[in-house]
Amino acid sequence: MKSLVVLALAVSVSTMAQVQWSGFGRHQTALRPLEQGDWSMIQNALSLNLENRSDSKAFKADFFISHNIGDSTLDWRLRQLYMDLNFDCCDFRLGKQQVIWGKADGVFITDVVSPKDLSEFLLPDFAEIRQGITALTSNVFVGNHTLSLVLVPQFTPTIAPEAGSIWHVAPPAPAGVRVSMDASQKDVAIEAANSEVFGRWSAILESIDFEVMAGWMWDDDPSLHISKRFAHVNSANGQMVLDSLVVSPRHHRLAVGGGSMSSTLAGFVLKGEGAFYYDKRFQSADPAAEDGLVSGNYLHTMLGASYAISGVDFGFQFVQKYLMDYDSFYQDKEFQNMITAMIRKSLLRETLYLELFSYVGLDDQDALIRPSIGYDISDGLRMTLGANLFYGDSGSFGQYDQNDMLYGKLAYYF
Amino acid sequence: MLVSKTLFAMLALTAISSASPSMNGQQVIEAVYKRVQPKDQQGDLTMLLINSRGEERKREIRQFIKDDEQTEKKIMFFLSPADVRNTSFMNWSHTQQGKEDDQWIYLPALKKVKRISSEGKSDYFMGSDFTYDDLGDRRPDEDNHSLLREEMYQGEACYVVESKSKDKGYLYSRTVTWVIKDKWIGLKKEFYDENNKHLKTLRVMDYKQLDGLWMILHSEMENMQKKHKTVMKLEDLKLNQGIKDSQFGERTMIKGL
Repeated sequence: MKSLVVLALAVSVSTMAQVQWSGFGRHQTALRPLEQGDWSMIQNALSLNLENRSDSKAFKADFFISHNIGDSTLDWRLRQLYMDLNFDCCDFRLGKQQVIWGKADGVFITDVVSPKDLSEFLLPDFAEIRQGITALTSNVFVGNHTLSLVLVPQFTPTIAPEAGSIWHVAPPAPAGVRVSMDASQKDVAIEAANSEVFGRWSAILESIDFEVMAGWMWDDDPSLHISKRFAHVNSANGQMVLDSLVVSPRHHRLAVGGGSMSSTLAGFVLKGEGAFYYDKRFQSADPAAEDGLVSGNYLHTMLGASYAISGVDFGFQFVQKYLMDYDSFYQDKEFQNMITAMIRKSLLRETLYLELFSYVGLDDQDALIRPSIGYDISDGLRMTLGANLFYGDSGSFGQYDQNDMLYGKLAYYF
Repeated sequence: MLVSKTLFAMLALTAISSASPSMNGQQVIEAVYKRVQPKDQQGDLTMLLINSRGEERKREIRQFIKDDEQTEKKIMFFLSPADVRNTSFMNWSHTQQGKEDDQWIYLPALKKVKRISSEGKSDYFMGSDFTYDDLGDRRPDEDNHSLLREEMYQGEACYVVESKSKDKGYLYSRTVTWVIKDKWIGLKKEFYDENNKHLKTLRVMDYKQLDGLWMILHSEMENMQKKHKTVMKLEDLKLNQGIKDSQFGERTMIKGL
């Protein structure tokens, strides 16, 4: 019903003003062959962009409506709704918006302003993974340099997969111990003191592009405060017997500073990105750790290169997360290393696309491999067939080893 | 300074033109390369991709170009088809020998301006029959040129010049160009593949003098081997409008038209 109201409103607005329509309609079906042919998704979706623009101002609304056949749910989201004011030297954007920073592909290092929707892990298009945030963004332009300031009065967290979803991962607990959730402290109150602020200096110049950024933010992912409830004392050894765990997700403040660059050399596009995160909460097995958490800092870095040979595009990235001041109680590894690889080729005068994108975890020897083939049946009508293949027993990708998926999509762009 | 350079170039061309009977292939191609261009231009480019069955696909682009004689800056906004709408492409091409072009692409789905390599000169532009190299200004010193003959072509007196790349790995073994003697426009160009077989033919179908400058408005590139072609038309062309340098930057790419 809500979506119909939004659609009616959109139609009314577009009729009244000189509003440009664009977007796509899409059908998507996905099958999990390892789960006895379970249809993991049968979805019809509409992405609708309405835009009115002049030299000095602009308005944009971006709706996404999806109808999931499997559970008969109709979902709509207002992904973006903002106004722009443009001047010669600067511009301002106010409203719900996506803010995308950094040079890395498929990895979020300095790209931390817009939180992610991980309800379907990393599988949707990145435009659909990123959430809009209500913010005031200002940009000042000096030659080819841009100074940006983003003020976010209301914190928006990562959307995690719901319990019951094939992407949901329950907090680990010892066998026989009950786990209960206490979400009472999860929300961050909408107060001025709880605002987030981000700044960036970026430039695109001859031979090199770069960005330098900093942020005073909330950790988009909640830290899991774990308190133990004991049943009784074991008479044999005198130790307390653990009865249950109460897991309380809470968001904490996080400071980040970093940058990224890209350049070309002998036909290669070289890029790098890195950020230092201060005061992150990590899970710890240290008995002295309050609520099973310790505060620490970490570095997240990426080095990458892309190259084209005979019309085939290749792209590789090495990504490392390094936990500083590490001790053996940390439940995460001190170094977490990953490679991403992309191979892409277009054929038949850019109507047939072959693509392979992979994440490979070097520590857990797990991977997500995503081959796809796309064909433009006519201008604006594209069919895509692909697979999401998970390998490994553990790690970010190996934990979903049973979620291998084949999918087909048909999208009409207007 | 730019005016005096332009004047000098025009005088040089006049001198070359008056000496045309004794011109060699190198001088002809130099004259084409130095044909006076506007300081800036904007226009709507339409490409019609026609396959061997006669089926058509249309691509529409609005482009802005500014040339300060050191760097030619170009920005293109893709208007159609719908799945590439709001994509923009920017190229800074430097006259300094050995200096790579700088190129970026903005993909609205990613909301990012990405630097891309300019080495893919042999790649076809938007699935058309034009490679990036065909669309760019190839410096005369990259090839050896020889005058084959002089002949009339489509009512115009032309020099016919054969060009062979100094780079053995170049995508064409040779090209043959019909250059109009007094206008220095390549009216027709044949491209031969690495096996010296006729690969493509470029034909200029329409050109006009605007603000005293010869501009190509309609051309067709035909792939002789695969029997498909691309029709490229430039409409609503405006010259020397005083486009600001700031137009050619990240802000414009993201903001779009």
